[in-house]
Amino acid sequence: MSETSTDGNANGTNIPVRLSMEDPEPMYRQIESQLRDFILGGQLPPGTKLPSVRALAKDLACSVITTRRAYQDLEGEGFIRTRQGMGTMVAEITEDRMSRHRREPVEGAFRAAIRAGRRAGFSETELREIFSEALEDSKSNAQGGDR
Amino acid sequence: MMEGSVISLKDMRKSYGDFELGPVDLEIEPGYVVAVVGPNGSGKSTLFRMLMNLARPDEGTVSLFGGAYPDDEVEIKQKIGYVPEHSTGHDEMNARALGEFVSHWYPAWNEGRYRELIEHSEIEPDKKFRNLSKGMQRRLAFALAAATGAELLLLDEPTDGVDPFARREMLEDISRFVGDGENTVVFATHVMEEVRRIADYVAFLVDGDFLGFYEKDALLDGWRTMWIEGEPDTPTPGIVEKVTGSPTRLVTDSPEETEAALANQGIRVIRDGPLDLEEILGHLMARSKGARERSIG
Repeated sequence: MSETSTDGNANGTNIPVRLSMEDPEPMYRQIESQLRDFILGGQLPPGTKLPSVRALAKDLACSVITTRRAYQDLEGEGFIRTRQGMGTMVAEITEDRMSRHRREPVEGAFRAAIRAGRRAGFSETELREIFSEALEDSKSNAQGGDR
Repeated sequence: MMEGSVISLKDMRKSYGDFELGPVDLEIEPGYVVAVVGPNGSGKSTLFRMLMNLARPDEGTVSLFGGAYPDDEVEIKQKIGYVPEHSTGHDEMNARALGEFVSHWYPAWNEGRYRELIEHSEIEPDKKFRNLSKGMQRRLAFALAAATGAELLLLDEPTDGVDPFARREMLEDISRFVGDGENTVVFATHVMEEVRRIADYVAFLVDGDFLGFYEKDALLDGWRTMWIEGEPDTPTPGIVEKVTGSPTRLVTDSPEETEAALANQGIRVIRDGPLDLEEILGHLMARSKGARERSIG
């Protein structure tokens, strides 16, 4: 009973957001990060109509304040737009913003890895070695398929 | 009727012997799900009974949909679907008979919705209420309340005894009832997962004391736990609990202030995370108890 997904709705695209009760992240952040990923990944292209705040809350069986907050944050970041009478849709995202958002999570993950490494007492040289090894590993795992 | 509060309680108090409830001041706007949370014996059921005029306040006022008991009783109650803690008088009736009986009192009764809920809950329509499982009895009580055509559901531990799968369906039914924001739900529970899932607001009630009415997401964001290296100054803003160790764990009710103060003191935060509702309630309880002891002592 820990997960729910949207099962479609009449007035907007069916967006496959899932909420996990095991995830300690607040539910509005879970909604935000999933929608952000789908928008940046192109699964929800600009102009896609999204369900209303109420409809999304109903679909996910979650609080309307939660869905409203998620939409407000995404709107503040420029991912979606709400127009009076037109509902909410995915916004046009500039190349600049797109590349920044592609970079941010990667940079964040590297920073976290560096912090973990320093905590464990590795030197800069050792960290570089670990990074190079991990990169080589992932290359051989992908069997030369460079993506 | 969309203007103003659905429920407005002002300085409401009630006592039974040693037990004192209140004062409760509460305004509930239409379109939201409100969870009433607290240990057993905290006065949750008394609060619901007062909202239904089954108990009268000793002091203060209770107003629903802008009206008051007893003058507007019929008008108010036709807009409320109530699931009491224990359903009385249902035992010898089956779902069909109960539907007929209850529908008589509600002009906006929705028979289609009732049948849908009965079917979807897999309640046998010919089985007497007392022969249904506890969980099925709760779901039937919910179906009766939700089909009244009410604008407000008052649910006193509606999921008590309901198994996890059915509980999930009930939570969906509750969310659906709110619709496009015209309807309101107030439900009592001690299952924090239900609160986290569907509640917009949380009202905490402990030992008859009303510990406040919070927007759930803001409340969850307002508390954090941090693991740090070193010893913070006393006082450091926001810290409400400190478990000294290696590392030391803190609980803060002002995460940003605490983080800034720790940074100033040169203390590193190793990790941090959200606090769950049980822990937050525990701190609110401790705080109110402390305040009471200070005022007595």
